[in-house]
Amino acid sequence: MFDILEPLLFALFALGIIGAGVCVVVLRRITAQALLMALTFACMAGMFLLLGAETIALFQVLIYVGAITILILFGVMFTRQDDRGYGLFFQRQSPWAAALTLVIALPVAFLAFSFKDPSTPSPKGGDLTPLAGSLFTDYAFPFEIASVLLLAALVGAIVLVKRDEQ
Amino acid sequence: MTVPLGAFIAVSAVLFFLGAGGVLVRRNAVVILMCVELMLNASNLALVAFSRRAGQLGAGNPLDQRGSVFVVFVLVIAAAEVAVGLAIILAAYRNRPTVNVDELHEMKG
Repeated sequence: MFDILEPLLFALFALGIIGAGVCVVVLRRITAQALLMALTFACMAGMFLLLGAETIALFQVLIYVGAITILILFGVMFTRQDDRGYGLFFQRQSPWAAALTLVIALPVAFLAFSFKDPSTPSPKGGDLTPLAGSLFTDYAFPFEIASVLLLAALVGAIVLVKRDEQ
Repeated sequence: MTVPLGAFIAVSAVLFFLGAGGVLVRRNAVVILMCVELMLNASNLALVAFSRRAGQLGAGNPLDQRGSVFVVFVLVIAAAEVAVGLAIILAAYRNRPTVNVDELHEMKG
């Protein structure tokens, strides 16, 4: 059963990535584009899981799906975009939303109710332990440089958007 | 039956060129930023895929996480890039209320 699961999941994620990517490039509705970009990032997190990089998938969800999408949406909000239909973006597609939720909820419910507690927990720590070991020993100096870069970006972003009080 | 490495690389390449096409074709600054993010993400996928395969082939330490470490740095750069990029877009927007990059031509020679 699990032999077919991996190619199936790969096909699903690849379809999500490329389909949503095409929509991001082609569509003209900026809010939909931003949300589809989030879908691309979420499918990419699934790809990382398939490749066995759990920690990277977690970072992907936290930073890309969470932070960067919200930043982009704020950018959309603060600037005037092309004229477009402002209709009820979320409320018009209730049937679609219900169908999509069902498609996601059914497998999750199946897994949740068929879950058996394994007697011995798996001792593997995933890829977090080797990643952290590598990051904080061999790459400790680039890591510090990256933190300085983030600080510079933080200060720079604040300075750029600060209004002069005069 | 596992997914071959080439499939991951193909998805990565398609997404990268989608992003590159978007950067070149679209005129909305926020959309251009989104497309740059797609390109960065595509490179992340290629890095992780190659890193996993190198570990499986035994071409080095199986615990070698070089690809993942690079992905972490790409994430940092992407976060900094979006923050500064949006700040620049907002600062330019305050001077001239448009996000169309064709209309921001003050520095044209």
